[in-house]
Amino acid sequence: MYQLSDEQVDYILNDISARGIKMEDLQDNLLDHVCCIIEQNLEDGGAFEAFYQSTIARFYKKDLAEIEEETQLLLTFKNYYAMRKVMIRAGVVSVCAFALGSLFKIMYWPGASVLFTLAIGIFSFIFMPLLFLLKRREASNTQERLLLASGVLAGIGYAVSTLFHVQHWPGARIMWFVTLILAFFVAIPLYFFGGIRKPGQRTNTIVISVVMVGVLGVQFLLTALRPSTQTTGRIYAYLQTEDMLEKLRHQQHNNDKLVQDIQATCEALKQELLQTEIGLREIPGDFEAQNIRLNERYVANGFFTMERPGQLLKQLKQQVAAYNASKAGMPDSQLPVKNSILDDHFLDKDFCSSLYVLNNIAQLQVFLAQIPPGDAATVR
Amino acid sequence: MVYSSELVKGTLKTIVMKLLTDNKKMYGYEITQRVKELTADKIQITEGALYPTLHALEAEGLLTTQTEYIGKRVRKYYSLSPTGKTRTKERVSEMADFINTMIFLLDLKPKTA
Repeated sequence: MYQLSDEQVDYILNDISARGIKMEDLQDNLLDHVCCIIEQNLEDGGAFEAFYQSTIARFYKKDLAEIEEETQLLLTFKNYYAMRKVMIRAGVVSVCAFALGSLFKIMYWPGASVLFTLAIGIFSFIFMPLLFLLKRREASNTQERLLLASGVLAGIGYAVSTLFHVQHWPGARIMWFVTLILAFFVAIPLYFFGGIRKPGQRTNTIVISVVMVGVLGVQFLLTALRPSTQTTGRIYAYLQTEDMLEKLRHQQHNNDKLVQDIQATCEALKQELLQTEIGLREIPGDFEAQNIRLNERYVANGFFTMERPGQLLKQLKQQVAAYNASKAGMPDSQLPVKNSILDDHFLDKDFCSSLYVLNNIAQLQVFLAQIPPGDAATVR
Repeated sequence: MVYSSELVKGTLKTIVMKLLTDNKKMYGYEITQRVKELTADKIQITEGALYPTLHALEAEGLLTTQTEYIGKRVRKYYSLSPTGKTRTKERVSEMADFINTMIFLLDLKPKTA
């Protein structure tokens, strides 16, 4: 029986490690195994190195590392089905939450934000990572792995930047552009040039690439387009009204409690509306440079069905009614309700956009602010 | 005759687990030698099949391990966990059933009548 020296054991261990066996457990097992074979079969004084090399060569078909690969494969395979199940469930939950969240959002029902965050959180941090882990094993070369990685990253970027856009969180635009660059210049080219070389997948690859470029292109346009010049003009008109209001307030201070209350309710309403539409409490003067978009979509009915705006509108109506009652017999001092959002049947008209509502409230405030303290306005 | 590795692959877990039921604790080399001995060299377990299987069984919680130092190197002994013991019984009876089915399917039934 051959006796192995410590140096020889080290030599074997180093060789096993150099041949790509990195798991310590496996190194120990293989080392002991080779040592046993040598001790059992090599005669005293036999040629250790040559015997070792011929022994280890019988362990594998291509190279020794295949034992470690097989071990890793078996270890992950155990989780494969569980992971796939979780991935599919996460996908279904995420899609349902997203669809529901979208419905809630356009209906102004409470809970839209929670649903969106949930949907995109699950999609980005459970579904996509699991997809990556499961598909990684199918990717046979570097190009396919790169495609998978960039595709998954672009998918996560797409979802997260959508969430940030919807929630008006800062950083949404940067994220969206990074995603676009990743998709346009890395993921789609890799997909296209990888697939077009495989004869069976040519048509599919071309069709899907064209669709992806088309969809992302349209989305890019939608996010990069500035609002129409008309809308921009109306925003400036609104800002001008706000400036006038500001100056009027500085000129004279009305101590009348009811007037102050009405002004406060108006401010609160405007802030609520802007918070919902652009995520800010007011429109900054340099809104164009800051790329802040205020769309002229119909908002009124939906917005005022929300809890707080609904209460504020009701409160405003009551306050205005009280104010007008106090000016009974002085019609010129009464706040004009006609043609305003205080006129109930105006709210369901389709021109009732966010800008219309903002302008409307600001005009009421201007009227109120230019009435001098006391009842000077009534003395004509 | 040495059985093909494909044939051995599907039965390897059962073989290893049954051996451990009978021998309490064994290390890798010992397992390969014992199988060779018991089957008159007909089943030769390769290192490339044995160790991945042992690690997988350990990860599944069917095997427990003990280590022992032999000079400078570490020897890992494997034995069955309680779950491993129950699973072995199930696997062995499944295998017996499978063998009967194969005998029938491949029409190998010895003529007894």
